[in-house]
Amino acid sequence: MTTIEQQVERHALSTPDKPAVVSCGTTTTYAQLWADVCRRTDELRAAAAPGRLNIFRATADKKFIVEYLSTHRAGMVAMPLEKDLPEARLTALRNEYGTMVLPPADDALESIADVLFTTGSTGRQKGVMVSYRAIIADADNLISSQGFTTDTTFIICGPLNHIGSLSKIWPVLALGGTLVIVDGMKDINSLLGLFDRSGQHLATFMVPASLRMILRFGSKRIKEVAKNIDFIETGGAALSQSDIDGLRRLLPGVRLYNTYASTETGIVTTADFSQGASPAGCTGRPMRNSAVTITADGRITCSGATVMSGYLGDETLTRAVLHGGTVVTNDLGEIDSDGRLHIKGRQNDVINIGGYKVSPQEIEDAASDIEAVADSICIPFHSGIFGDTMKLIYVVSPGCMLGKRDVARALAAKLESYKVPRVFEEAGSIRHTFNGKPDRRFYLTGGDEKSDE
Amino acid sequence: MDENKMKNDIRKMLEDILPLVDFDSDFLFAELDSLGITAILMTLSKAYDIDLESPDVTPKNFKNLDSLVRLVETKIAEKNDRQ
Repeated sequence: MTTIEQQVERHALSTPDKPAVVSCGTTTTYAQLWADVCRRTDELRAAAAPGRLNIFRATADKKFIVEYLSTHRAGMVAMPLEKDLPEARLTALRNEYGTMVLPPADDALESIADVLFTTGSTGRQKGVMVSYRAIIADADNLISSQGFTTDTTFIICGPLNHIGSLSKIWPVLALGGTLVIVDGMKDINSLLGLFDRSGQHLATFMVPASLRMILRFGSKRIKEVAKNIDFIETGGAALSQSDIDGLRRLLPGVRLYNTYASTETGIVTTADFSQGASPAGCTGRPMRNSAVTITADGRITCSGATVMSGYLGDETLTRAVLHGGTVVTNDLGEIDSDGRLHIKGRQNDVINIGGYKVSPQEIEDAASDIEAVADSICIPFHSGIFGDTMKLIYVVSPGCMLGKRDVARALAAKLESYKVPRVFEEAGSIRHTFNGKPDRRFYLTGGDEKSDE
Repeated sequence: MDENKMKNDIRKMLEDILPLVDFDSDFLFAELDSLGITAILMTLSKAYDIDLESPDVTPKNFKNLDSLVRLVETKIAEKNDRQ
């Protein structure tokens, strides 16, 4: 087995002039990319020992690709963080992890390549350690199940610190395809313009909220360019049946994949919902490096080469989630008679926002730091505008003045952008359980509006 | 419709759903993320019964609140011409 970096080096020799990365209006060939990686590797080697963490922002450009590959080639561990992370939080993470060393394993493929932050199964933010073995297996899963080829041009429009988009650079660079990186989806017109390239075997990954945006405001445009699209993958959150049906009608002939994956499990199952019956929540059969079972209490477990190596600096938590190479998730599921995995929800309080897992307690803790907030509860909320999002219900301290804008801005100054609720509501009080915790069950089972649709 | 009233109405609606966004900014497009763009498109299309599509999402149309008002006025005029 060879690493992604070794594959890129090969492509630099065999297809030096082929475009490897297109971003910010500039095309970088494999030869140029490898030269940049070699230069940056030398700088990193001079500055830090193997096994040290390289903590950097996951910018949506070629610079990120160079930094990521160079970090691995220098024997360091990549810790990509959200590109808009508040500076104070970045500094805190650098202080906490900047001197940590994860020594290389005897088997080089078991060495840790990446540490990716997630809230995941436990409701606490932690670093998930991903080995080279897992990255190679994830790439192989995607190549064998979704039809990535050397001709694939993959458009990345999501955050590269998250496994949803990060995992797509692995098969593309392993095969010598082309990555087109754009900074999010807000310039939807330009994004759809990228698909207006015939003969390029285009593909992309979008979370369900982004696909809904395309369906509502870009349907005419994407229909015009559908002939250029090989496949679109989604995952990270539930895709509604109406959106599944809408995509099938809009994009006949385009393969449409719904994938089950997480930072801890890697890329595990996928279903092509452009074919046959396509019930919402169906994420297909396990890919070739993965296996899935369901526990007696309905939880999904995943094993195989794609699973994480553990949580950074937390062996107790690792033992609680990783049992002999099997990750026991808090996602609830069923396996049908055809071996297809169907997602049924989550067992704990963690809220899924476009694939990001968010602990409501973290948001409530941040809200409690706002002087004029007396109490709060954060709950999942389905918005007709934002899709699945979070709502913060808050109580203002007596004698204080505080609007939703003040609360939103105070939270945005402390938290990653995806953790800031989209919907705010001022209330006179928050209902609590007998032991003083916010009564989540009450708010989730009808005590409050859970949708504005 | 009175332009100032429309501007105030749009400001009120958008500030309510996007409390983090500064609608006095002349760099509105830069301030927004994809969900912010979606929120504005959905809110304006519903409030004024107009069709907004991806080609309407340009930095020029989303430069500031005044440019959004002009976009809505243009769309309303186009709708009236069709009727």
